[in-house]
Amino acid sequence: MILLKHIHKKFKNNHVLKGIDLEVSKGDVVTIIGPSGSGKTTLLRCVNYLEKPDEGIISINDLTIQTKKPVKKDILQLRRRTAMVFQHYNLFENKTVLENVTEGLIIAQKKSKKMAREIGVDILTKVGLADKINAYPQQLSGGQKQRVGIARALALNPDVLLFDEPTSALDPEMVGEVLEIIREIASGGVTMMIVTHEIDFACEVSNRVVFMDDGQIIEQGPPDDILIHPKQERTRKFLKRIMKEPDFTI
Amino acid sequence: MPIINFEFAIQEIPAVLKGVPITLAIAVVAMVFGLIFGLLIALCRIYRVPILNRLFIIYISFIRGTPLLVQLYVFFYGVPVLLDKMNQSFGTAYNADHISPLLYAFIAFTINVSAYQAEIMRASLNAVQIGQMEAAHSVGMTTFQALKRIVLPQAFLVALPNLGNTFIGLIKATSLAFAVKVVEVMALAKIIANDGYHFLEMYLVAALIYWLICWLLEVLFTFVEEKMRNKEIKQKKMNTTISKDLPLRV
Repeated sequence: MILLKHIHKKFKNNHVLKGIDLEVSKGDVVTIIGPSGSGKTTLLRCVNYLEKPDEGIISINDLTIQTKKPVKKDILQLRRRTAMVFQHYNLFENKTVLENVTEGLIIAQKKSKKMAREIGVDILTKVGLADKINAYPQQLSGGQKQRVGIARALALNPDVLLFDEPTSALDPEMVGEVLEIIREIASGGVTMMIVTHEIDFACEVSNRVVFMDDGQIIEQGPPDDILIHPKQERTRKFLKRIMKEPDFTI
Repeated sequence: MPIINFEFAIQEIPAVLKGVPITLAIAVVAMVFGLIFGLLIALCRIYRVPILNRLFIIYISFIRGTPLLVQLYVFFYGVPVLLDKMNQSFGTAYNADHISPLLYAFIAFTINVSAYQAEIMRASLNAVQIGQMEAAHSVGMTTFQALKRIVLPQAFLVALPNLGNTFIGLIKATSLAFAVKVVEVMALAKIIANDGYHFLEMYLVAALIYWLICWLLEVLFTFVEEKMRNKEIKQKKMNTTISKDLPLRV
């Protein structure tokens, strides 16, 4: 249902994506891993056009965008079928927690305020923030902020939920609560694409792992194949590097 | 005879106060329209609208690089000449004499202030983290909706102290309007002073009136600012996360 074909992206002379082909089916949970600078975040941001690809085709169900000549209306449609959870949360600072969640429902999806509120309260309760709906983002901890971020994305009921390193900016003791929620959503059958450094989490939650390096997809497959029995040398090297036991203890 | 004839000064205060509404009118009109135009100019510059961007760079540079008094004169003496020329060329019959001096002042001050407001708004918009716009896009808002609901309210908060300063500067700058025959506080002071050669007295009266107005405005702005920042101050202490401080872009 999501099809990326031949996606290229350059930042000036830096060729970040070198022809990415990727297919994500409904209900898939796809984790994208790879060294920093491999282009995984850029790829994710291309899916909802926060980054404009230079070449290639993006399609979600019946909506297809030729990135060489994109139509403004199609980009808006693409964004309304996707939702993103950001590494740095990016909550609307001038809105309360509840408004953060209902904003997209009311403004983009034209739902009634009453209905949006019901959805918002419901989802915020699910992520354990029922008592914070009238707080402002600055009053929350990192973990709480990211849970609002997830609630905001989930409320939109998107065709695909995009996670851009959702736990990278969190204090270690808050990573757990956020991963727990993502795990729950994944088990609910929501289609997701996750960029993460949490390899164990990727292994557990996803049904497909994509390994990227230097702007290309090196290999992809079920978590066990990629993370435990990688075929490619580059994947092996990467996994060895990040799985390496520390040779000192604190 | 004392150096300063206080009796005369006090006696003439009410007469000079009659100019206050005109002074305030010029300042408020220039502030409001200057803010609207300034905002539009700032947006043209931030989004690098072709041609307009270049044009406004020159406009801002010119307005900020020439004295307001000179601008007033150029406008006051330039418009009648232009109208005459137009009447000759197109056979119209606009009479420059019928234009109220106040209108010249309104327009000239608005033009002047808009250049300064444009720079204030541009800086304030840039101070809003780019993630806010991205998040708004990601929930399906159009750029216009995102500006209106998310980015501009935050930018105004940033701009508030500067806007307050501009307004106070503007109040004082209106004293130049008497150069184009507008009868405001300064003009009245001068007219009355001419009568009995009480220049020092009347200028002191004018100074006190300007000071009083500006002082009241300062109090007002401090109040508004505090009210709007209330939430933020409380929350700042709890804000422990790192935020990306990148400027807004398309």
